[in-house]
Amino acid sequence: MPRALWSGSLSFGLVNVPVRLVPATRDLGIHFHQLDGKSKARIEIRRVCAKEGKEVPWEDIAHGFDLGKRCVMLTDDELERLAPDKTRTIDVETFADRADVDPEQLDHPYFLVPAGGEGAARAYRLLADALDRDDRVAIGRFVLRTREYLVAISVRDGALALSTMLFADELRDPKDLGDARIMAADKPSRTAVDNAVKLVKALRTDFDPEAYDDRHRKRLKRLIAKKRKGGEIAAPPEPEVPEPAPDLLAALRESLRDAKKARA
Amino acid sequence: MPRSMWNGALSIAGVHVPVKVFAATEPHTPRFRELHAADGAPIEHRRVSARTGREVPFDRIVKGYETSGGHYLVLTDEEIRAIEAPERKAIEVEDFVPAEQIDPVFYDRAYHLGAADEGRDGFAALLAALERTGLVGIGRVTLRSREQLVAIRAGDRVLRMSTMRFADELIAPAKLKLEEPKKAPSRREREMAAQLISGMKEEFDPAAFEDEYRKRVEDYARRKARGKAPELQPVPAPEETGDLLGALQASMDASRKRAA
Repeated sequence: MPRALWSGSLSFGLVNVPVRLVPATRDLGIHFHQLDGKSKARIEIRRVCAKEGKEVPWEDIAHGFDLGKRCVMLTDDELERLAPDKTRTIDVETFADRADVDPEQLDHPYFLVPAGGEGAARAYRLLADALDRDDRVAIGRFVLRTREYLVAISVRDGALALSTMLFADELRDPKDLGDARIMAADKPSRTAVDNAVKLVKALRTDFDPEAYDDRHRKRLKRLIAKKRKGGEIAAPPEPEVPEPAPDLLAALRESLRDAKKARA
Repeated sequence: MPRSMWNGALSIAGVHVPVKVFAATEPHTPRFRELHAADGAPIEHRRVSARTGREVPFDRIVKGYETSGGHYLVLTDEEIRAIEAPERKAIEVEDFVPAEQIDPVFYDRAYHLGAADEGRDGFAALLAALERTGLVGIGRVTLRSREQLVAIRAGDRVLRMSTMRFADELIAPAKLKLEEPKKAPSRREREMAAQLISGMKEEFDPAAFEDEYRKRVEDYARRKARGKAPELQPVPAPEETGDLLGALQASMDASRKRAA
């Protein structure tokens, strides 16, 4: 089981469920270290006090909140006390239909697991089954380190899946895109839409997440293997933007024929 | 009006529709500066050699991949950039899949796709087709020197694009080995939980949730700057619910009273 990032209590109404927060993703990225180009020694980051020039241990670092003209120092303790009920508890404020939450607002996925004991396991199962039955999502919030998180909790295969959310003011309104938005004057002809529908339907398939591999990761691995053998790597040319078809309908018709042939 | 971060084409089986990519999100996370608690002086991050402890100038730092304990292969940024060599500057759409088949957990970062001056009719036709069919395009595009898997769906007079997580990056719920209760919740408990959830259910309005903590921190910092910081109470520990049925009943009574 993945390591817990936080533990506390999930509370809805007067029911408290002791839970632990664990990641729902694993990092498969290829990571590099910073090296000194000359000696090939590893680089370490040292936190140094600008006044004394001496290294400062992690626990002696406070948070400077920028007020424009001046910077106010806040300690971990003050930050925790500013949200007394929220640092240990994910407080569910409301429930909603899962379909009403826009995926665009979801940020990072985690799981909640019951934190030991029959009581925790039972309250956890009760909440998970109730949410699952009606396809509901619990909306709540909690504070982790120096930040408040709005979260959506739903059920995936019997487990409580928590996703952090962006606040509404962090989402850009498509209306701000001006003339990059489609306007009333951009009304496409019926034939053009019908052909576009035929095209997307010709390429329709069921979603199979396993069918898509991370080619960037694979290429990085290949690059590393090649370089270990002493190969040389040449820079690629800059890609060009393809020209839009002068006759969209003709292009759609042609693509449709090709797509059908490819699927056949 | 925001500036587009990438201009290219949306390519579907040989049809190219010019598009502009815009970020759909802008984080407002409070940014704290690191300070030395003892004297309030700013903290500087210094890059030093682990071997000598001496500072290393930024332009001498290179990327190393650890091949075995303590041995590194140096890769330049140019070499890493060279692994992505798209034939053209395009979002290459491979498939169209029903929107409801994609668990939102696959969606990572959100973008908006807008129409360019040329080819607006093609953009409008595609948008209408995605609206009508409820299908989502799955494709690949190189953004910031890295090929990404993306999903494209219809939005409000724009197309919405999300980068996607890969299947092997997601941890399956079965891996959690959840502890199950020895005694399953009773029918009465289930009924009451369902009622409590229904009672607390509302139409979801994202704008109703503001970052209160951010505001409270800012307010406190302003008062502290004037030497008038209010005293803060210590944090109480939460209590575990011993009597599940009793807590459910009390919650329902409380929410009924609030609603009345």
